[in-house]
Amino acid sequence: MIALTQRQSEWFFAAVLILGSLFIVATRVRPEQTTAAPATATDVVTMPAPLADHSAPDFTLTSLDGTNIALSDLKGQVLLINVWATWCPPCRVEMPTIQAAYEQYHDQGFTVLAVNLQEDPGAVAAFMRESKLTFPALLDRDGQVSRTYQALSLPSSFFVDRRGVMRAVYRGPMPRSIIAGTVEQLLREGQ
Amino acid sequence: MYPLVQIGPFRLSSGGLLLLLSIIPGGVFMARVAQARGGAKLARQADTCFYPVMIGAVIGARLWYGLFNLDLYGRNPTLFLALRVSDFAWPGALLGGLLAGYVWCRRNGFDKLKLADSVALTLPAVQAIASVGLLLSGEAFGVPTSLPWGLPLFGAVRHPTQIYFALAALGSLIAVWRLARRPLPVGALGAAYLGLQGLTSLLVEALRADSLVLPGGIRAAQVFGLGLLLYAVTWAQRHSRAARLVPAETSEPTLQEQS
Repeated sequence: MIALTQRQSEWFFAAVLILGSLFIVATRVRPEQTTAAPATATDVVTMPAPLADHSAPDFTLTSLDGTNIALSDLKGQVLLINVWATWCPPCRVEMPTIQAAYEQYHDQGFTVLAVNLQEDPGAVAAFMRESKLTFPALLDRDGQVSRTYQALSLPSSFFVDRRGVMRAVYRGPMPRSIIAGTVEQLLREGQ
Repeated sequence: MYPLVQIGPFRLSSGGLLLLLSIIPGGVFMARVAQARGGAKLARQADTCFYPVMIGAVIGARLWYGLFNLDLYGRNPTLFLALRVSDFAWPGALLGGLLAGYVWCRRNGFDKLKLADSVALTLPAVQAIASVGLLLSGEAFGVPTSLPWGLPLFGAVRHPTQIYFALAALGSLIAVWRLARRPLPVGALGAAYLGLQGLTSLLVEALRADSLVLPGGIRAAQVFGLGLLLYAVTWAQRHSRAARLVPAETSEPTLQEQS
């Protein structure tokens, strides 16, 4: 071990403290800093498919309040289509994270379509109310949309950009960082 | 990115799977290291400590993540109990594990410094494997970069922070094992590991795009890292002074001498 005098030790400690603190401040997360990629114009395969870089297959479903919502009407917004069910534990765990992202990015043009798989509307409404979820829940009564999107495991999540192009597909619950990273990237691309 | 791995009928989180794969052999490896450094008695103590330390680490990891995501966790406190491997934070795991280990050792009269040295010789290997899990699951991702070794993720070429973490863990492993060959005071390896861990957090965290932040944009893990680094510096200084006053026979025998 290097033998330092008492005074040298104190100086060394102070130097580590000051340099470390300066480094932390210099590398802090700034408000204008984004995790997103620079905007790009990627080529798009236009045939609808639940695959990245394909057009997102269109659908029309009824929301809990009886409104018909068509995917094609939401062009211009960044969408997260989340296929879920109240009986699916990972789906329930994921919902607050999605709600947090919805609240954070909704004003910037992000919305969530929570496509519920063949459940009783009353049970879905109760779950949404109890969990304080404010994004639209759509009722996939016959499971057609879930089949089209090949949502074989729940939850399945599909990120769609402002042009209606599928950009990312995730199976299973997503961490908050992945939702935020993907949404920020897609929001920035459309600016 | 492969966030889920299909094994038969099960779809498992790759991050969780790698974490599990790293912890189980890590526990076995630590018992062997303890056996080599302190005989059957220390190996038994290491075995007994394993579960309390793991429980402390899990609680600490979730608390750290939840407290730095209080907007989300405050609204839905059941998330603190949710089975989500992604909602863990390493600084909390280290802090929780250390605290649980300290309390357990104190209550049972275990030799905590010798155990800390054994942990220091094991934990970097566990972290290196777990970092591969982060790479597979896409968590702890980096900020965009134009450097040639950047990895494409979320539509951008990014710093491969997960690989940096893995390399830092391997570097720490080599450094601690090299130090173990020298006659050092008991607890020196533990302190060295914490110092290296602090340095890793301070440097690599700066390149993460999904850091948990304090007010003012300060990255919480960097503050924690600086704290660890300062602890290691203080420890080294204190023992350097003590070494000038006390003869060297109190030093821990090296691994080579014991084997």
